[in-house]
Amino acid sequence: MSKSNWTLDQLKNSLTKNSEVKAWIVSRENVHRRERYFMMDGAQLVTDQDRDVQQQLISARIFVKLSREGRHGEISKKLFPSLPLQEQIQAAIEAAQQTDHQAWDLPNEIPAQVPLRATADPKMAEDLEGVVGELTGRIERCVAAKRDTLFNSAELFLSNHDRELYLSTGLTHRSAQSRIYVEAAYSFSRKGANGQAESDEYLNTCWSVDLNNLPVEKLFDETSERAQHSLDVQKPTSGNYAVIVDSEVLTTLLNGYISQLTASHSYNALPFIKIGDEFIPSATGDLMTLTLDPSLEFGADSTAISEQGLLQSPLKLVERNRVVATMADKQYGDYLNMRANTTRGNVVVEPGTLGIDGLRKLAPQVIEILQFSGLFADPNSGTFSSEIRLAKLYDNVTGRVSYIKGGSLSGSIRENFKGARFSDQRVKRSHFSSNSVQGQGYYGPEFALLSNVSIVS
Amino acid sequence: MTTFTRLRAPFSEDLIPLRDSFAQLLPILETDPSWYGSIYFERKASKTYSANLKQTQVLDQVTQGAVLRIYNGYTLFEQATDALELDALKALALKFSKRVQSSPVPEAAIRRTYHAPTWKDRLSVSLDAEITSQVPTGATAKTPVHFGIPFEQNPKTATTAETLENLKKTVEQCKTLAPGVGLSVSDLTYVMARQTFVEEESIFIDRETNISQNLFRISKVIILMSGAERAYTRVGGLGGLEAVHVSESDLKELLSELKALKTADKLHPGKYRVLFGPVVTGVLAHEAFGHSQEADTCARGRSKAWELHKSGEIVGNKHATILNNPAVFDNGGGGYAAWGSYYFDEEGWFAQEQVLLDRGVLKPPMTNLTSAIRLGVPRSANGKRESWANGVYTRQTNTYFSAGDKTLDELMVELDNGFVALHPAGGMEDPKGMGIQVGISFLQEVKDGKFTGRVFKGPAGGDIQMTGYTPDILNSIVAKSKIDAASKTPDQARHPYNDVGGCGKYHKEFVHAGCGGPYVLLDQVVLG
Repeated sequence: MSKSNWTLDQLKNSLTKNSEVKAWIVSRENVHRRERYFMMDGAQLVTDQDRDVQQQLISARIFVKLSREGRHGEISKKLFPSLPLQEQIQAAIEAAQQTDHQAWDLPNEIPAQVPLRATADPKMAEDLEGVVGELTGRIERCVAAKRDTLFNSAELFLSNHDRELYLSTGLTHRSAQSRIYVEAAYSFSRKGANGQAESDEYLNTCWSVDLNNLPVEKLFDETSERAQHSLDVQKPTSGNYAVIVDSEVLTTLLNGYISQLTASHSYNALPFIKIGDEFIPSATGDLMTLTLDPSLEFGADSTAISEQGLLQSPLKLVERNRVVATMADKQYGDYLNMRANTTRGNVVVEPGTLGIDGLRKLAPQVIEILQFSGLFADPNSGTFSSEIRLAKLYDNVTGRVSYIKGGSLSGSIRENFKGARFSDQRVKRSHFSSNSVQGQGYYGPEFALLSNVSIVS
Repeated sequence: MTTFTRLRAPFSEDLIPLRDSFAQLLPILETDPSWYGSIYFERKASKTYSANLKQTQVLDQVTQGAVLRIYNGYTLFEQATDALELDALKALALKFSKRVQSSPVPEAAIRRTYHAPTWKDRLSVSLDAEITSQVPTGATAKTPVHFGIPFEQNPKTATTAETLENLKKTVEQCKTLAPGVGLSVSDLTYVMARQTFVEEESIFIDRETNISQNLFRISKVIILMSGAERAYTRVGGLGGLEAVHVSESDLKELLSELKALKTADKLHPGKYRVLFGPVVTGVLAHEAFGHSQEADTCARGRSKAWELHKSGEIVGNKHATILNNPAVFDNGGGGYAAWGSYYFDEEGWFAQEQVLLDRGVLKPPMTNLTSAIRLGVPRSANGKRESWANGVYTRQTNTYFSAGDKTLDELMVELDNGFVALHPAGGMEDPKGMGIQVGISFLQEVKDGKFTGRVFKGPAGGDIQMTGYTPDILNSIVAKSKIDAASKTPDQARHPYNDVGGCGKYHKEFVHAGCGGPYVLLDQVVLG
């Protein structure tokens, strides 16, 4: 067992020759991961775990003919090189024949020229081990820096993903992606007013596609600095506030909420905002202009081609708060008689006009969220909520700035983004989940000021 | 009435040669006699079937890989691969061994060696009979010992056509039942029924042990939507199809919830008396002590619980007893194992019940291998990973409060005026700062101990968050229910029901976790 007993060409040929099969999409991904967990052992920085992972994933989406008019069957299957090919294909086809989908066709046109996208860090592609060593050195130097806080732990994850995509239409596409994850945790201890020791910590994380957008030193400095303030906190007074959220929060909220601009939502009768409608109802603040951009350099969801073989190019979805396009892949485009367009890409938002200092002064009291404990957002309702892990309260009446921790924040994109103001500086953000090819990318205002947000403690 | 014979998930014959080849790698992984070498193999074969108002769908996935492990007294090194031919594995093991040999040892680091436990060591502790009954008498290091989850209705024999047909029937049933609860069919804008079956097979080998397990993990989820409002139910566990039974009354209840959500009020944020249902108390236990009782977090200096355990400080009242237990082989008396259960963890340690918090006093934490060694505390079966391709952390299994002595009716009288929270919506820990966040989908209002029929969502129309300081929350527990809260007779079940749940530690590593417990009545908690 376990010997690879078939090739990708044999898989493609078998699917092509099978008269039951209407069409297919085959992909192969080779993944190489390197991971290290760092912590202190007494006064010594040590590596608790050191991992190397090599993995190959072969997937097929197989479409089969059904006797029912206008319907077809389909299955998404991961295939295993160590198991017999024909057995796997036959089982997949038989299962697909039991399913029932409205029929649609893969795109007939094969793009003559596919644009090059910057999706993989060249240094990582060339020498992953060298980069592990280099970043380990940078982390060691960050940990060695003299600080008033205590370093607790760090993690470093790197991976290279080499992908191949094949469609029964004849399309072939190769791409690569790199992913980097760094986290750092610092704590701060002191004697409290009653003489008892008190302590708290701050954990900060960062994802990136390339090394140039990986601010390791800034991450460690900021983590330590915030840990140092983690004990100077008060609970917020319950009420409704003007609240500043950062690009990390905007990445989560907007990447989820734009699912309401997809043809799949329209087809499945899920919450859907159609062309011509306002993105944020009755918005009066900085009117949002939002583009889905798969060409962003080293964006988390930058790609030249979609899984269905469609060229992906920037698509403006919202212009000054007015929805101007619906994202449609070929499947849902066919269902709704729409031309397929871009469904992959990074959320790119136009900047506002004010600096962060300006945003902090726009209300008598402004709470700037430094970190949520766990932000839970519902893309269907646009609501979100979380405990506040650490925030700053700018009291513009007294001129006092204080730190806040605790309390529940509860908001809604439809309500609290009405008067939103965006900062004038834009930043790039990335986020990945381990089992998803698609990342969450963002290039837009570093901060947004939301209005009338409920906070209780 | 159909009667079923209970069978056990077998060890797959096609894995026998692989198991044999792993044993050949051990000497390479212990090239240096002071190293502790081990091998973990995992194969997960999953099939997900779903039906909605417009289509049916099947996802069929298999993932398998082996993790070669060397602990050299300082660092746990892992080399994971899905290229499992013997020659390739041997070559990789040799390369891996050289990598470990050439890794520099930090100057001031302390060497902590580890010795694999023998069968005598392993069987000298208190283990559930479901484990010990499957260990052959006189098992030695070379004896392949297999643990198979019991089941009644074999999920592997259900055909794709049958499964999809059943799911389509459930979707149709929702439409048929909707008018009975006051919803029109057009109110149901989205209906989806999904069933997932995963056969999870694993092998763990070190110089003293050669063990395998096969777990049948099965779940069913039903989601109803009306516009942006969403109600869902999920059932499941480890066993056969008997673990995913959804009755007509369950569907009626789900439809009633959706109807109530359509007219839900927005909660005025504040402090309330609230009765948490079993699954919400599971989230509370998981996030409280729970996460801060995970030894890797303690070893990283990131948990207050480690300091409080050593100082013996009280962090909750007499009701505050929390357990973690991967050995829940009878889920609330349901006849199948709870979602977060297994026979051994992904580092080969046998499942045992562990008290994490005993009437407000913190006990030693849950561990994975390296954190147990670093902290010098006993190992527990909590070394888990998202998949063979991911790293090991200390992770929770089934975490719950111990049962109390009240019935649900008695707790409703004690609640008097307040809310009942039955549906969780995530949660988050704050292990050093001791904050806590428990998400709740919606609240049901109670006045004079009776449901008023009014339902409340969060102040902005979304989920409600319960937040606070963990010891304050654990001191605000007023009372707890029995495991079988509907009955006045003494509990028959040993463990409470644990629902299908998951956990995403450190924001990126997802594992299964059971989530349940008794009803817990709390006073003066912040909801917003």
